[in-house]
Amino acid sequence: MIEFLHVSKAFGRQVVLADVSLTVHPGQIVFIIGKSGAGKSVLVKHLLGLLRPDSGQILFEGQDITGFSEKDFYPLRKRCAMVFQHSTLFDSMTLVENVALPIRKHRGLSQAESLVAAREKLALVQMERLADRYPSDIGDGLRKRVAIARALTLDPMYVVFDEPTTGLDPVSAVRVDRLIRRLADETGVTSIVVSHDLRSIFGVADRIVMLYQGRVHLDGSPAEFRQSADPVVRQFINGLPEGPMEL
Amino acid sequence: MGTLRLLVLDGIAQARSTWTLLVRTLHYILHAPWDGPAIRQQMFSVGNRSVVFVLLTLGFLGAITSLQAGFQARRIIGDTSLIGQQLLPLLVRQLGPTLAGLMVATRVGTGIAAEIGSMVVTEQVDALRMCNAPPADYLIKPRLIACVIMLPVLVTFGVLAAFLAAMGVAYLMFHTPPLVFAKLDFVHLLDLGEGMAKALAFGVSIPIIAGAAGLDARGGSEGVGEATTRAVVSCSLAVIVLDFLIGGVAFLVRT
Repeated sequence: MIEFLHVSKAFGRQVVLADVSLTVHPGQIVFIIGKSGAGKSVLVKHLLGLLRPDSGQILFEGQDITGFSEKDFYPLRKRCAMVFQHSTLFDSMTLVENVALPIRKHRGLSQAESLVAAREKLALVQMERLADRYPSDIGDGLRKRVAIARALTLDPMYVVFDEPTTGLDPVSAVRVDRLIRRLADETGVTSIVVSHDLRSIFGVADRIVMLYQGRVHLDGSPAEFRQSADPVVRQFINGLPEGPMEL
Repeated sequence: MGTLRLLVLDGIAQARSTWTLLVRTLHYILHAPWDGPAIRQQMFSVGNRSVVFVLLTLGFLGAITSLQAGFQARRIIGDTSLIGQQLLPLLVRQLGPTLAGLMVATRVGTGIAAEIGSMVVTEQVDALRMCNAPPADYLIKPRLIACVIMLPVLVTFGVLAAFLAAMGVAYLMFHTPPLVFAKLDFVHLLDLGEGMAKALAFGVSIPIIAGAAGLDARGGSEGVGEATTRAVVSCSLAVIVLDFLIGGVAFLVRT
């Protein structure tokens, strides 16, 4: 279980998160939604120690990780992976080297051993034939698949997806959605998905948390969101340009 | 007053992040395995790709210095035979390391800040941290080791280029025989030590300062641009300040 308790974060004078509390239960697919700049990515990065809260607590399986050092986070990052918004493959490495890096670093394997393991992981996402290409040689959809393979390479129990379908064609987006669903159903992986892709949100989510003005605006099931009469929620899920939602 | 205060606070924050990065990188140099291919790649980038630039700059500097010194010597004392003897110690302990350091700060420092800054704003550095690859170990360490090895090499080549160019100009313009020009009597071991100490100090400071500027980059391409500018200014300033400090210590040792 993951718990965010009264988490606040500001960058300079800009308050991004103001007293956010949220619990993610094992095996769930929780979508964090909200307009751009609502603090969705900022919130999930706190879980992995990529950002530190100004105040509040974060509990990972009951353990308070708020004061963890960078070194303390490394074992946690083995169990909780992240797929970044722009895939973030390393330009100077081939695809197989990208996937091999976490294997080599987290498991302490040699370069040769980690490359063998990485090829197997790439085969799982049907990317083995492109293993020796560079990220710049392939398109966004394929890069996303490699980024997902890299994130899943250590068989994590928690995966954070930051806008996994943004910029993908509809077919690739549906494939990513199915993968997230399959991970939860077949291996019990808990997924936290940052998104504003309405098709994904209502197609895959077990639970939806909407952030607005730095706070949790609504936390509920997809059905509860559909039935909500809240004008901010209605504006967001209907994609209306006019409404109470601040720009 | 407010702007000055912000500048001071920004300077303190920069100094703190640079110091922290230096300590972390030294920790990984001592306690983590070295990535040979990455170090060799960086040595190629720092050394081979800078060598022409350094040779040209120092070659022209040597030629200009020889020309100007020759004119003055001929006008005042009517003898140009001492130019080489006076120029070589100056090149070895002062002009060679400093000019090479400034050139490397310009070419390599900006490259490091731009590359790492781009990685920060595209979240590649966060992705590295997720892979158990700390930036100080994975990105900065190979660059620091490469700079520490390659700076003395570049300085040596640069000094040679400057001296040879100076000798050529002295021969062509003032008919000073190369054997007269190239007397090594005035170069002492301490001059060599001072020059190498400066090269090593620049080799440590340039990748650390530029790396810290890159890691502090925020925002998009504008943030990378700011980081690059900050890197070249800070690295150049560091070269000048270190040059002065090491030169001062060497002076005290001499006297």
